[in-house]
Amino acid sequence: MNLLFKLAWRNIWRNKRRSYITLAAIIFATFATIAMRGIQLGTYGVNIKNAVEMFTGYLQIQRTGYQENPSLNLAFSLEDSLQNILETNDKIISFTPRVYAAGLISYKDNSYGSAIFGIDPSKEKKTSKILDKLKNGYFFTSDTSLEIVIGEKLLNNLKVNIGETVVILAQGFDGSLGNLKFKITGTVKTGSPELDNMAVFMSIRTSQELLALYGNRIHSIAIKLNSLENMDEVQDSLKSNIKSKNLAILNWEEVMPDLKQSIDLDNISGLLMLIILIIIVAFGILNTVLMSVTERFNEFGVTLSIGMPQIKLVLLVLIETVFIAIIGIIIGDILGYAINNYFYFNPIEFGSEFAYIYEEYGFLPVMQSSINPYIIVNNTILVLTISVIACLYPMYKVYRLEPLKGIRHT
Amino acid sequence: MEIIKTENLKKTYKDNGVPVNALRGINLIINKGEHVVIAGPSGSGKTTLLNLLGALDKPTEGRIFFKGEDFSLKTKKELSDFRLRNLGFVFQAYNLIPVLSATENIEFSLMLLGIPEKERRAKSLKLLEELEIADLAYKRPGEMSGGQQQRVAVARAIVNNPKLVLADEPTANLDSKTGALLLDLMDKMNVEKNITFIFSSHDQLVIERAKRLLLLKDGLINDQNN
Repeated sequence: MNLLFKLAWRNIWRNKRRSYITLAAIIFATFATIAMRGIQLGTYGVNIKNAVEMFTGYLQIQRTGYQENPSLNLAFSLEDSLQNILETNDKIISFTPRVYAAGLISYKDNSYGSAIFGIDPSKEKKTSKILDKLKNGYFFTSDTSLEIVIGEKLLNNLKVNIGETVVILAQGFDGSLGNLKFKITGTVKTGSPELDNMAVFMSIRTSQELLALYGNRIHSIAIKLNSLENMDEVQDSLKSNIKSKNLAILNWEEVMPDLKQSIDLDNISGLLMLIILIIIVAFGILNTVLMSVTERFNEFGVTLSIGMPQIKLVLLVLIETVFIAIIGIIIGDILGYAINNYFYFNPIEFGSEFAYIYEEYGFLPVMQSSINPYIIVNNTILVLTISVIACLYPMYKVYRLEPLKGIRHT
Repeated sequence: MEIIKTENLKKTYKDNGVPVNALRGINLIINKGEHVVIAGPSGSGKTTLLNLLGALDKPTEGRIFFKGEDFSLKTKKELSDFRLRNLGFVFQAYNLIPVLSATENIEFSLMLLGIPEKERRAKSLKLLEELEIADLAYKRPGEMSGGQQQRVAVARAIVNNPKLVLADEPTANLDSKTGALLLDLMDKMNVEKNITFIFSSHDQLVIERAKRLLLLKDGLINDQNN
């Protein structure tokens, strides 16, 4: 082994207590950053997956401009060529067409604004989890039935019961007003206040009839992918295969900007915490390295006087820091991976009050870690970089040391 | 053959803001193979002169020539390389690297010269044998007595075949018997390897053995040979 490396290694263990303190700081920094980022990114992952699989879909096809201005008139025909493109993409698990509209739902003297969703239950079942959110009753099965499933809160607001009939009034594609009587067959409870207060699910055929969307016109196609990681690739592929300029292929971030924004905000606050933690640890490392260097000024003075180039002495301090950082990082990586692995397979589900707060912010009351290897790689690089930055000042002090000042140092 | 020469060497430093003239014009010539002792009372400027001759400090005035070359003109980096290739140092407090064994301490200078590991190990072990301290090869400074450490320090100072070895109070921390043994060793090196030795000391034992004695008083030199 190179004598310089040997010297650096032995120097680390000269003052064991101090080295253990430095090591502990680095282990803690690595472990904490990996665990924090793991839980943060894992929880985002769960929420994104839940949100996109609940109803939105990983990708949506809409008429261009519909996302900004969701008008009934911005519908498009579901053509075979488009379905073929979706069916032949092996990363697409399923897709489902939908109709969206605003309407008025009335029962006796009670009327409420509602969001009408025309869906195909058989395709919806493969693409989203909305059918799993059925609280009471049953979902319509026939394409032409005049049956609806509504949000649980809407049912309560209307003071109506399952099995009773309501009237839905909505403006049609051609400007006419359409109204139909529907039997309520069930309720859904999604956890989303908006959906539970306003959602009315009916069969897509019935909604097209109610809204005069002739020619198999729809407002969106929700697409489920085999993995969130393939989203960008499939989006690009669909953009190049679907030539029509009237159609936009949007990902979940574009369809749900609010969720994206809350995640980004939370992510920034998490990163700030991480930076504060890293700065505290960096000062700890700086302190111990500086102490270790200052303590050896006399020895450094002697080595400089026998002709050791200043830069080699600086390199020695760097090697010592890198050695101790690597040991700390490896232990921190193992501990961080272990905790992430545990909380990946054993997510924490929060109880009543916590759950309520989480749901209020639109998050699932679940904390789950991520085992994405990039978390370990990124944090390893981060802690190593910080450790090296923390020893820049001690290295500078060594670089400026005069042999004689070193020899005289007591 | 002249190895080191000083011309009107002056050194002034400040002690709590008060200028102190440590050296007030030293003119000196030391030839190859000489065994010189710089003696004088405490504060006479012995260590200051030794530091200047060892290129560890810069004079306030005057010049120092090493084999005819003025080294006060050299850069910090050049001086470092100059010390590595031409000088050897023996310090009062031995100053071995505590985490390295005797042989590793000796090898250290050779490593800085870029000599391969195998070659430097062989060279350091051979030197330890020559100095009759081969049994200390794998011991660390903490496992050696003061005398043993200073012998290893001498080995470290001469391993890269320096032209000049500067020893600052080498026997100050040793008892007289051990000090005498160390001086025997350095005398031997002086004779056998023709290495020039410059000692700074006020130890009678060292002064008695001097082949040339330079008495330093109030920053001025009195060369006993002249």
